[in-house]
Amino acid sequence: MTRIKRDAIAYLLIVGFCILMVTWAIPVYTPPYPGYGASPALVPYVAVGVIFFMACLSLLRVGVALYLKKPIAVAESEFPEDVGDDSGFTQVGRVNMGRLLSLIVPSVLLIFVIEYIGYILASLLFLISVQYVIGNRRWIQMITISVILTVVLYVVMRYGFGVPVPGPQIFE
Amino acid sequence: MDMIFAGLLDSISPASLMFVFIGVALGVLIGAIPGINGPMAIALFIPVTYYMTPLTAIGFLVGLNKGAFFGGAVSAVLLRTPGTPEAAATAWDGYPLTQQGKGEKALRMALYSSVAGDFISTVVLIVIAAPLAAVALFMGPSEIFALISLALTVIAGIGTTSICRGLMAASLGILVGLIGTEPVTALPRLTFDIYQLGGGLSLIPVAIGLLAFSEILLQVEKFMAKGGGQQAAHIFSKKLEDRFITIKEFFKSTKTLLRGSFIGIGVGAMPGLGAPVASFMSYDQAMKRSKKKEEFGKGSLEGIAASESANSSVVASSLIPLFVLGIPGNLAAAMLMGAFMIHGMQPGPLLFKENAQLMYGIYGSLLLASFFLLVIGRLGLRYFCKAVDIPSRVLYPIVIFTCIMGAYLGRSSMFDVGIMLAFGFIGYYMRKFDYSYVAFLIGFILAPEWERALQQVVIISEYDTFMFFQRPVAMILMALTLFMIGRTFWCSINAGKKKRLEEVVTNEQAKNG
Repeated sequence: MTRIKRDAIAYLLIVGFCILMVTWAIPVYTPPYPGYGASPALVPYVAVGVIFFMACLSLLRVGVALYLKKPIAVAESEFPEDVGDDSGFTQVGRVNMGRLLSLIVPSVLLIFVIEYIGYILASLLFLISVQYVIGNRRWIQMITISVILTVVLYVVMRYGFGVPVPGPQIFE
Repeated sequence: MDMIFAGLLDSISPASLMFVFIGVALGVLIGAIPGINGPMAIALFIPVTYYMTPLTAIGFLVGLNKGAFFGGAVSAVLLRTPGTPEAAATAWDGYPLTQQGKGEKALRMALYSSVAGDFISTVVLIVIAAPLAAVALFMGPSEIFALISLALTVIAGIGTTSICRGLMAASLGILVGLIGTEPVTALPRLTFDIYQLGGGLSLIPVAIGLLAFSEILLQVEKFMAKGGGQQAAHIFSKKLEDRFITIKEFFKSTKTLLRGSFIGIGVGAMPGLGAPVASFMSYDQAMKRSKKKEEFGKGSLEGIAASESANSSVVASSLIPLFVLGIPGNLAAAMLMGAFMIHGMQPGPLLFKENAQLMYGIYGSLLLASFFLLVIGRLGLRYFCKAVDIPSRVLYPIVIFTCIMGAYLGRSSMFDVGIMLAFGFIGYYMRKFDYSYVAFLIGFILAPEWERALQQVVIISEYDTFMFFQRPVAMILMALTLFMIGRTFWCSINAGKKKRLEEVVTNEQAKNG
């Protein structure tokens, strides 16, 4: 898939999001007009309106270019990595879902698991798994880093800031 | 006068001194690590400042930002991998010097230029911010509304190649910033019946997710694809002339340094342009005016002075629109604005009226941070160079875990960690699809103030449709907003046409041999 086609799909999804906001989210989850000032729904409608207008405009531009088979500027038709550029400021490029999920999944699991097994155990498991995913295979280094970081943050949170660490407290 | 002395005395209290010092040292260390920049460091450390006084918190964060700006030069000079876009021009001359064994000399030039640019810019900020804020006090809600609209339009162009996508990102930021309690009715809005959203989304998880977590996701992706990191070139010569900057060498670059500083001040004071523009503009001017143009790009000290003085002077000058108008000029200023708000202050002209002592304390901390940067840079230059050698497989898990715990620390809530992860995911997609996360974040921060100003205008004007025409400044600002949108569209259409034309011509030439 070229970048221009991917962008077109993204614009379509954004248009869908705007329609959902206008027909459901804003009317249902906005307080009624109190009788003075601007309506609480005004600014959300304006923001969604701008998004909708810009997405339609971009979609139109892309659609016309694709329909007429006009040559599109190189920067918009190809991914930067295809033309050997990996230093772009905005870091535009292809999404690697596998690598993305390999970091997101342990992080999401941590949120749920920490409530049951406590901060220390959950953090140790999380740090070891993330290091493994990233490619570290030196087990002593992995365990050392995990233990040091977990303990340092525990001490900083518990005794430095007086914040209760999440999950059951083993040392209480 | 008493306020000035009291503020300055506050800034030299032991706690304040200590936190500014720690901030600068941490900033240099973090900035030296490729891929971690000032705003990202501020986002990670804002939760820590919950437990500080406002002065120490702002002093610490400003120190962190100043340190990180110089730290960015370390990886640029040693690795030719600028951690931040503004350090790219530094790499052009810094890295060739490193290859010649003069890496330390290049870093010293970067340090002195950074400190000089930063100091000049801080003095300008101190001299002009308060008088400008006094003028800005005459602005009413109409002007504030128009000004924020203009700022959002200008900022929509940062970090994206398309103004349409920039405006979409800014509008989405506004929409997300409206989640929570509606100011007029005091009833929940867009909370989807999730009680944790009743108070709105906290800046900390949103900022950590968008700035730090999404960046780490991208870097890990790149690291996993390529494997291994770059090896820094630690070829430090032992000859004194290759290590130190002589007075003669420094004074040769004085003109460039001053020019760079003032370019940085001008660019930083204008919302939306930022340090990379200042850095490249200054480098370009230095090259054009230099007697030794041929040395640029091959290891010119003047080139380093031009780039570093300009990008460092943006740090303080970007605080001018923040202090005077309450509008963040760039990402670092937006993060500092968030820090002010967390400590119960609204940046803007009233800040000087309501918190004069604190403001002079912050000025003192800004000057001290420049001094500490010089001291820390001089004493620890070689040690900070080691930061670029930290293996990525060790660094990334540490940063990821710090992101998670930083998000938790704000309100001791795992819900906020979930928010951080969600915005990390959104930020990753925004970067990949070229939507400006900078515009999103600034829209998110400015949304409540923008809506408040609009409500005030509507109530005061009693629904007068022509309310903006009665206030000349507001009218000019609104006209400027419309002009900016029109101009950007016009330019983008023309640029597209030009590119297509160039491509057609190139293809034709290729066909014709």
